[in-house]
Amino acid sequence: MLALDLKKVNKQYEHFRLKDISFQLEKGYIMGFIGANGAGKTTTIKAILNLVRMDSGEISILGKNMAEHELELKQEIGSAFGDINFYTRSTIKTLTNVIKTFYRNWDDDTYHKYMKKFKLIEDKKIAELSTGMKVKYSLTLALSHGAKLLILDEPTSGLDPAARDNLLDIFQELVQDGEISILFSTHITSDLEKCADYITYIHNGQIINSAEKEEFVDTYRLLNGKKEQLDMIKDRLISYKINSFGFTGLIHTKDFDPSLTIKSSTPNLEEIMIYFSRKEDQDV
Amino acid sequence: MYNLLIKELKLGISPFFYVLPFLTGALMLIPAWLYFLVTLYFCFITMPNLFGGYKSQNDLMFTSMLPVKKSDMVKAKISFIVILELLHIVTAVIYGLISIRLYPNMTYYFFAPSFGFWGLSFVMLAIFNIIFIPMYYKTAYKYGAASIASITAAILFAVGAEWLGIQNSFVNDLFKGAGAESLPIQITLLLSGIAVFAICTIIAYYIANKRFEKVEM
Repeated sequence: MLALDLKKVNKQYEHFRLKDISFQLEKGYIMGFIGANGAGKTTTIKAILNLVRMDSGEISILGKNMAEHELELKQEIGSAFGDINFYTRSTIKTLTNVIKTFYRNWDDDTYHKYMKKFKLIEDKKIAELSTGMKVKYSLTLALSHGAKLLILDEPTSGLDPAARDNLLDIFQELVQDGEISILFSTHITSDLEKCADYITYIHNGQIINSAEKEEFVDTYRLLNGKKEQLDMIKDRLISYKINSFGFTGLIHTKDFDPSLTIKSSTPNLEEIMIYFSRKEDQDV
Repeated sequence: MYNLLIKELKLGISPFFYVLPFLTGALMLIPAWLYFLVTLYFCFITMPNLFGGYKSQNDLMFTSMLPVKKSDMVKAKISFIVILELLHIVTAVIYGLISIRLYPNMTYYFFAPSFGFWGLSFVMLAIFNIIFIPMYYKTAYKYGAASIASITAAILFAVGAEWLGIQNSFVNDLFKGAGAESLPIQITLLLSGIAVFAICTIIAYYIANKRFEKVEM
């Protein structure tokens, strides 16, 4: 079953547009949603949550159409926006007591279990929580109302390496039983190498690739060649950099002819991101 | 809808604004003052503070993420405004009754705190609501222009009403002359004011709801 299914989602703004966004997340898995700042990650997430209205396309969550079953589905979704804070001068207790009244499956035992596990103190004000603690509080709320799909916008941004690693471990623990699925956006590619099962890469409002992690990386090859070899292959490269030894460039695996004597290797996610963003500069 | 209203009451506002009506209401004890000001303080102080709080605490985003209907979000917010308005008027009415007993032989140049006057105060708040609420819900976060326009309109109404009360013999008679002595007339004026208030606020809700449907977070 699909936890999340986007089909040809379009949204036009004055200076930006989401174009034919399509991707699927299988239930029980973690999908990393990567892209540079301003690529459209948050807008896509807002479209999923129906916070912005798409111009065309279809979004289904847990097999149901989001536009038709918004309220019902929001009971099953837990969401957090890493950089937005709410009612920061209120205590966790006050906020929880208000929030819980909106969810029919709210479970106090689960709430207290995760509060204890994440070492959250009810009397603390939101403003007093560290960035990591805030994400954990959002997770606690989501899990307490029995959310099956967690949609998290940049949950790891602004966390120190230890807190980030800890959070990624928690994500993996959560999906273990196959009931919960997670979509989280990030521009920190090492997060994904650690814990994502699937990767969806968005660039300039378009999905470049959405696939299982190994498959995703395998779609590309990083080439290291001499300057004279560049002309042979230039047209097929996604983008390239020239240095004193020759060039390095990214290519789709299918476009690469292994019989050429150019050295090739599997790129990491960061390299894929970097070469794709260079593409525009070179095209201009 | 009920849980959204509770959210407004518990989270949306500092408890100070529940106490404020008792402070502004006490201004009714100033003898023969311009009593429209007492309810206007709600428009001057409470409303901008309330909506400034919503903006700084990201209330729009917070509420949008909850499993609630957009129309209920508007309904709850307007209900909350109405509750605060009633709180202001009711406390002012109580202080007004005390005021009348404190100064039995007072000469009023402006309106005395009669039932008819409270009817006019309801109309003033009705004007405030029907301008502020639809203007605010164009964006659901910008409250500056909506505050300026609605407060200006409310003041203009108060000035106009006071002027008519002094200059126009019919209005003068109704509120300060023979009409002031007749309880049925006074009650009719009050009920008419309440009716205008209710109708304007309901219209404001429908316009606001339509506009808010188009608002994106």
